[in-house]
Amino acid sequence: MINKILVANRGEIAVRILRACKELGIQTVAVYSDADKNAQHVQYAEEAVHIGAASARESYLNAEVLIQAALDSKADAIHPGYGFLSESASFAGMVESAGLIFIGPSAESIHLMGDKAESKIRMKKAGVPTVPGVEEIESLGDFERAAEKIGYPVLVKASAGGGGKGMRIVWEVNDLSEEIQAAKREALHAFGDDRLLIEKYVANAHHIEFQIFGDRHGNLVHLFERECSVQRRHQKIIEETPSLQLTPGLREEMGKAAVAAAKAVNYYNAGTIEFIVDPDTHNFYFLEMNTRLQVEHPVTELVTGLDLVHWQIWIANGEQFPFDQAHFTQRGHAIECRIYAEDPANGFLPSTGRLLQYVEPRGPGIRVDSGFVAGDNVTHFYDPLLAKMIVHAEDRPSAIQRMQAALKDFIVHGVVTNIDFLQTVLSHPDFQNGKVTTRWVEQNMETLMESANSLVETQKQSIGLHIIAAALADVAIPNPQSKIENEPDPYSPWKAANGFRMGGTHG
Amino acid sequence: MKLNFDHQGQSISVDLTPSGKSFRLDVDGETVEAQILQAKDGKLDLLIDGKRVTAYVSSDHTRRWVTVNGRTLLFNKSSGGRRSSSGHQHAAGELTAPMPGQIRAVNVSEGDTVSKGQTLLLLEAMKMEIRVQAPRDGVVKKLFVQQGQTVEREQLLVEIEEL
Repeated sequence: MINKILVANRGEIAVRILRACKELGIQTVAVYSDADKNAQHVQYAEEAVHIGAASARESYLNAEVLIQAALDSKADAIHPGYGFLSESASFAGMVESAGLIFIGPSAESIHLMGDKAESKIRMKKAGVPTVPGVEEIESLGDFERAAEKIGYPVLVKASAGGGGKGMRIVWEVNDLSEEIQAAKREALHAFGDDRLLIEKYVANAHHIEFQIFGDRHGNLVHLFERECSVQRRHQKIIEETPSLQLTPGLREEMGKAAVAAAKAVNYYNAGTIEFIVDPDTHNFYFLEMNTRLQVEHPVTELVTGLDLVHWQIWIANGEQFPFDQAHFTQRGHAIECRIYAEDPANGFLPSTGRLLQYVEPRGPGIRVDSGFVAGDNVTHFYDPLLAKMIVHAEDRPSAIQRMQAALKDFIVHGVVTNIDFLQTVLSHPDFQNGKVTTRWVEQNMETLMESANSLVETQKQSIGLHIIAAALADVAIPNPQSKIENEPDPYSPWKAANGFRMGGTHG
Repeated sequence: MKLNFDHQGQSISVDLTPSGKSFRLDVDGETVEAQILQAKDGKLDLLIDGKRVTAYVSSDHTRRWVTVNGRTLLFNKSSGGRRSSSGHQHAAGELTAPMPGQIRAVNVSEGDTVSKGQTLLLLEAMKMEIRVQAPRDGVVKKLFVQQGQTVEREQLLVEIEEL
């Protein structure tokens, strides 16, 4: 029986899971590194345990310390969230060996699916279509021969990988050696394992994944698709459901393949089967399975009405999943935008700093899952995801409009964000017509940035308003550089202006 | 009162004169009347030529973050006259860190001849690997960092001299 859960994660997903625990009346334990002493997830939990230095390897990736923290705080279960140790079979095994419940699939399922090479071999056996490629090779010569046979461009990726880490597209034989070395190093740092596999790079494909969910008693369903083709650096930035690409027939076919894939590894709890779909032929191929809760799970929650984290906890508790496939329909349309502290004009590189202002939008059909408030620091130690904004509306056009309006009300100062870039994508005809494939951002980067810049230049009026506001703020607020002890933001000119009504008192 | 703001290398000056409860502002030759209705926690409710405008302004040393109509722009407040020294205006051949992180590998030594596009250093941050590449053919004049070192954004890493 689960009465107390330790959440072995940080940021928005830790807050989201802690919130679910509170809703179910389950006691909560958070963990934190040196960099996260005052983080939102720590403040949100009833207990918090310090687990080590800021570097993830010395804290959120330290399995022994996390399990000891759970035992010391008398937790019954550990929820791993996503990233960090969520897809580590050995961690799941250690949790179970310590007499605790791992909220997720079995260590065996994680192991089978976690290895991209082994899972591909298994999927082929289960009759699930896979991308042409070669697994279990090592020497540069083998990779060269494999690439030659498959045909460039090829993708080399970490066997142990996920989340775009340790993955490189190679366009010609001359680059193969250097890209393999880079992928190996990244894979070693991210996963402690530098084995790679190679496969055909399907250049203009849609990334469409299926949420699956099952219990320990053999019940397993899919919860429809998520279209995740808007990506930069192989990482998703906008996800939605339903996908414009899928006809009811194709949806049913892919859903069946997803269920077959999960059943092939005796899967239970929440998982995701990723496919790539060729927009011309509508052929689909198994890419990989993510054996955890996904970043983008909220869009599925909004159209199915299910709370996936609640069900993860109940399933981990041994309960039956009472719904069959026929129970589920997709209601309306949901879109998620990931709000990253990153600079699209600077190669999407992360932007760090203190959040001088942070205001989230509110309104009907708007959900924001976040792990930050104003005054928090965004450091270079962890993923720069600030928040996820998810909207739900009756159809796709209204969902896009709702997202566009809500993004305008999302105020972040202190770090550069991708909010303007998201707006540029949302208003682009290719996005509106569902034509965006996984390389679209990369292929259109120049025109996307141009349109963002020209907007600034041609709208002199708009930049004029910004300048006027900046000038008025400077003169109207007395003593802008005053520094007051214990002020959460020492550089804010606003401390002296709380509730200050402007009159004619300035000089 | 004259104020100067730089935006992406472009300097914009504002002349601001209080008049009663309002201000008269001259922005690049255009004049507007503005009134501050309320200013609270970085949010300004303004009346500009009779229209209501909500602006969010944050100040961080000389930098100003301003959001109006959902668009956030970053300005640098300068004392006027001179060009801003902020941004990526480094001497040609000086390569700086695009983001804070740790130097994973240094592939060259001082005095090495390098060719355009050659990977000089590997920087790791937020679990990503970033290659610092030679912008042109040249010689490594000076290396400012070593493997394992933590660097800040814009920190000077290596200087390349033209052949």
